[in-house]
Amino acid sequence: MNLLNDAAGKEYVSLGEDTLYVLDKAKQYSEISKGAFDVTIGPLVKSWGVFTDNPKVPSKTEIDDLLNLVNYKDINIDFENSKAMLAKQGQIVDLGGIAKGFAADEAVEIYKKHGVKSAMISLGGNILTLGAKPDGRPWNVGIRNPRGKDSSYIGIVSVKDKAVVSSGDYERFFKKDGVRYHHILDPKTGYPANTGLIGTTIISDYSIDADALSTTVFVLGLEEGMKLIESLEGVEAVFITEDKEIYVTDGLKDTFVFRDESKEFEYVEKR
Amino acid sequence: MLKKDDLIIFGFVIILIAASFIGVSLYKSSGANTNKIAVIIKDNEEIKRIDIDAVSEPMEIAVSGDYSNIILVEKGRIRFKDAGCPDRVCVNTGWLTEKGDMAVCLPNRTMIKIEGQSDNVDIVTY
Amino acid sequence: MNNVKKTVLLGLFVSQALILSLIESWISIPTPVPGVKLGLANIITVIAIIFFGFREAVSVVIVRCVLSSIFGGGGWMLFLFSVTGGVLSAVVMSVLFKSGNNKFSITGISIAGAISHNIGQILIAALLMKDLAVAVVLPVLLISGCIMGFFVGLVSSFLENALRKTKIFE
Repeated sequence: MNLLNDAAGKEYVSLGEDTLYVLDKAKQYSEISKGAFDVTIGPLVKSWGVFTDNPKVPSKTEIDDLLNLVNYKDINIDFENSKAMLAKQGQIVDLGGIAKGFAADEAVEIYKKHGVKSAMISLGGNILTLGAKPDGRPWNVGIRNPRGKDSSYIGIVSVKDKAVVSSGDYERFFKKDGVRYHHILDPKTGYPANTGLIGTTIISDYSIDADALSTTVFVLGLEEGMKLIESLEGVEAVFITEDKEIYVTDGLKDTFVFRDESKEFEYVEKR
Repeated sequence: MLKKDDLIIFGFVIILIAASFIGVSLYKSSGANTNKIAVIIKDNEEIKRIDIDAVSEPMEIAVSGDYSNIILVEKGRIRFKDAGCPDRVCVNTGWLTEKGDMAVCLPNRTMIKIEGQSDNVDIVTY
Repeated sequence: MNNVKKTVLLGLFVSQALILSLIESWISIPTPVPGVKLGLANIITVIAIIFFGFREAVSVVIVRCVLSSIFGGGGWMLFLFSVTGGVLSAVVMSVLFKSGNNKFSITGISIAGAISHNIGQILIAALLMKDLAVAVVLPVLLISGCIMGFFVGLVSSFLENALRKTKIFE
């Protein structure tokens, strides 16, 4: 991936099969979301320093300059020769929003190959389940309370063979001059996404999809995010708004258990 | 050596002891069949939560602060292994194994306590 | 008694209490819970209440806790921990001693003091840690408080009789 970023605007780079797959997936989700999810967000991520110990708020002009570099359409993939290239110099692909999901999928593939019937993987909060629990019951996955302690949750989904991935403004954030900045940047504005959501959770067959979509709907907001998920087959979602209201997609209404120990949240069943 | 009115004191003390025994046994028995989760708290903030029955390899956790603590976790048990504080009450507490067990290092404001997981959730996504 | 003599005697009390708590820290009692101590310094508190009164006894306790925190370390936390137990114990024992009009024995008062000491420490620990879970050690600490308080009371009674014979406090 560094090779691809280094050669941005210069030349095609040969990539491994896995990398190419992840890159293609990322591009697909960029398209589906019409840019609300964009893997070419790299320059902004770097500028904000969101994954470093010293995050900062870039200047408006810096953000405007870097926004010109954010465009998933500039990813050119040559499947025949397993090569890819970024169109403009300085462009950076950031697979942070999707790579963990891919890794979890790969891990489960390995388990399957070895005949494992029941497993659960948690990669930094990204949950992927294989089969049911050894006793045959589904896995009960709590959905983190975005304003509570690490282990507190606001509801439970029961799943078999599903990935459950969450995104939220609580994962990484820093405070500057009294303003709280979280790590999920909106590729349209260059600033942390501010769409009234504080947490999103996606339930899908593959972790890579859930990973990309949880970020996507976080950036899209409740209305558009809900529309997107309802249009996709086999994908469900939970939305938590900053007003502490919880919304779930239709397919999840039967299995989602609202259980809020903090008593601060409200489950909105009807829209 | 003793006087008749001492009985008032003794009666009061016995009531206190009985009440505390009942309170503690109620606390310990609530959720007794759930997973044993060791919670490490420093300066009133939870810094780590471990399902001690799920620990396969022993591990050490260092807690820094005004004084230092080294916490040792093994399958099914947890303890303060070492501490830089003068009183070392936390280390002398020894192993914590049951729900409700706790050890405190007051000088460093570190506490370990074992909780029962409050619900039937297998894991939390974040 | 003049002020100079009083000051000297109270100073002696503080130093004796300090030594007793030092000796106590060398003796570890094998118990299932932390914090079980002999409470030897309570002997001095009892004696101070008998021969001087509440204010003097509390002063001795506070000065002892300040000094032992300085010498022994542990910072604010341990200071608050020991001073809360010590002061509460002195308050309870003074009240029982004064208002009890000699109805209670020194041993009974000392038991009440030891228990108050332990309750005070649990309360302050719960407050400092913002967690009531520290109270799980309360039953054991109450029982140990009874036992230790009993022996402290016996020693204090002997000491009181011995000291009365010396007429030092007249």
